[in-house]
Amino acid sequence: MKRLLSSLVAVAVALSFLASASFAKEIKVGVVWPITGLVAAFGQSAWKGAQLAHSMKPATKDGCKIKLILLDNKGMKLETANAVSKLITDNHVKAIIGAITSSNTMAGAPIAEKNHIPMITSSATNPLVTKGKKYISRACFIDPFQGKVAAKYIWNNLHAKKAAVMIERDQDYSVGLAHAFMNAYKKLGGKIVAVEFFQSTDQDYSAQISDLKSKNPDVIYMPSYYQELALFSRQARQYGLNQPIMAGDGAEAEALIKIGGKAVNGLTFTTHFDPHAAATPLTVTFVKAFEKKYKTSPDAMAALGADAYFILVNAINEAGGCKATPKKINYYVRHTKDFKGVTGVITINPKTGNAIKSAVIRKVKDGKFVYVTTVNP
Amino acid sequence: MKIDRNNILTILAILVFFLFVWWGSNHLTAYAVRVWEDTLIFLMLSAGYNLINGVTGQFSLEPNGFVAIGAYVTAILILTPAQKESMFIIEPMVPWLANLHMSFLPALIIGGIVTAFVGFLLGFPVFRVRGDYLAIVTLGFGLTIRVVSNNTITITNGSLGLKGLPTYTNIWWCAVWAVIAMIVIMRIVDSAFGRAMKAVRDDEDAAIAMGINTLWIKQIAFVTAAFFEGVGGGLLASLITIISPTVFTFFLTFELLIIIVVGGLGSMTGTALATVVVVWGSELLRVVEQPMNIFGLHIPGIPGMRMVVFSILLIIMMIFAREGIMGQKEFSWDWIFNKIKGKRA
Repeated sequence: MKRLLSSLVAVAVALSFLASASFAKEIKVGVVWPITGLVAAFGQSAWKGAQLAHSMKPATKDGCKIKLILLDNKGMKLETANAVSKLITDNHVKAIIGAITSSNTMAGAPIAEKNHIPMITSSATNPLVTKGKKYISRACFIDPFQGKVAAKYIWNNLHAKKAAVMIERDQDYSVGLAHAFMNAYKKLGGKIVAVEFFQSTDQDYSAQISDLKSKNPDVIYMPSYYQELALFSRQARQYGLNQPIMAGDGAEAEALIKIGGKAVNGLTFTTHFDPHAAATPLTVTFVKAFEKKYKTSPDAMAALGADAYFILVNAINEAGGCKATPKKINYYVRHTKDFKGVTGVITINPKTGNAIKSAVIRKVKDGKFVYVTTVNP
Repeated sequence: MKIDRNNILTILAILVFFLFVWWGSNHLTAYAVRVWEDTLIFLMLSAGYNLINGVTGQFSLEPNGFVAIGAYVTAILILTPAQKESMFIIEPMVPWLANLHMSFLPALIIGGIVTAFVGFLLGFPVFRVRGDYLAIVTLGFGLTIRVVSNNTITITNGSLGLKGLPTYTNIWWCAVWAVIAMIVIMRIVDSAFGRAMKAVRDDEDAAIAMGINTLWIKQIAFVTAAFFEGVGGGLLASLITIISPTVFTFFLTFELLIIIVVGGLGSMTGTALATVVVVWGSELLRVVEQPMNIFGLHIPGIPGMRMVVFSILLIIMMIFAREGIMGQKEFSWDWIFNKIKGKRA
């Protein structure tokens, strides 16, 4: 019985390996995203976008199928590094898409760099991710740009001369973006009248609010995530702190409106993309297909996930389709020029690997996200 | 050390192990080598953890704090002054740390010593309580370290963490340190201290009555564990090249706890086996998350599936082998020879 069982298992395993080695000509692309764990929502969203993009463009021009191999990194650094290593040495992928957060991407990047495998991240906005790397590129803009866009908008459109900044001390995203904003705003001639700190788990913001009230800024810049933004807005309005609030792309989630209610009305934020402000023809077809397949509008993560895929396929085509080598793919990823993606027209700087693209400003109006404007680099 | 059959065999086994490492570093894929590096670091961490939890029987939950301290100290020491200057964008680093720079080995040892010292200081307050209370107090320590590393911005760079660490860690560093940790800890377990530790575990009041200074015995276990967890943290930091307060959460402690329970509380060789099973298991089980075709039946990949399978395996194990793979027993040469001779140990 035991022997029978073990031989059955062996056959099953052998078959599954055989099945995974397909016979058609194909190009393997690895995907490392958090599908479980604390940041799973982002990874799942991006994977939806990438899968849809894959169904829209499943092969290269000369007919090679593109095979996506998804590995879950649980949102952890050690797992990301292992997954990247596995994709390169076990699966022999030609390129890698991933990971969602900057810190996870940075844990996997040295391995891709060492093995000369191009890695393109959909949403890691920290400038250090690509710094000094030849094989790491990204489909999104970087934090200093996002901070600059927010500063310009506050200075030019809101005509605010005094800003206060709320920093979530234990989130590197918040600290980095706030830092970028303050630099840009000071350069424009603005004055930072208050810098307040808080922690992710904070429920009560009364100390910061009373301090902000005494400093009386024209606008409050709070690069944080939706829960904190919603809670802070509610309490601020309750205490009579009515200045406009500006945030970063972390604000974009339906939960912001659910938790914040009326208090978040008018909250403005910089982000990557708006599904209803068609930036390119691809935006229209992608959003339509997405709504048909998933019955909901794509968010920025899904759009960026799709863009990472589209940029990569474009580069594979340029690099010779079926015959593309990782080195060539990397060259063409880095020389992406005026590519009309889902989130806008994308150009990648060949020297730094950073995407040069426009940012979108959206705001909450009557319980909905609405498009405000697009800011070009 | 006596030169007898058992010691010679142990030395031979270690030589065979290093031979395997040498063979592996040349012939295994980079991915396999990487997983072995993880395995050896985790072996070191869990061996230390087992000394305090299994051998001394003090149920504590602090390893993530110790690993974090070791990782931070080592990282600060191996980063160059130029790197530190470009990284500390919120506030500059305190000058005496910013200009400190040394090679990997002294950095690791200092990381271990600092962690051991923190463990020593921590031991006095936490060992005033026993049992569940000890678990809660030490759990608090792990959380405290996270808050401290978030807020001491001039030392740890706060939530931004330390990035771009040089990758010194390779299979040799991990192997040598893992062997050192195993030898030192197993020698402690076999010594008079080790017997005193076991006495504390089995009945603390009886141990006190026999004249054992239980606080010092616990401290020896705690400080030894802290040292190796600190060094392991340093190796880990250089392996993943980026550390921040979120790397060393309670999940790390939890993983180590699984390893020592699976291996058998109090058994070092069991820990070694369990580390291999757990670390390699979670990597090999990635197969179940991939789309498969079995007999024409297409199964789409379900991410997260390996955690489900892993949990089921753990549950089965806890039902049929409640004491873990080895229980409290150790692998020993005598046992093998007795088996060969057909005698009962």
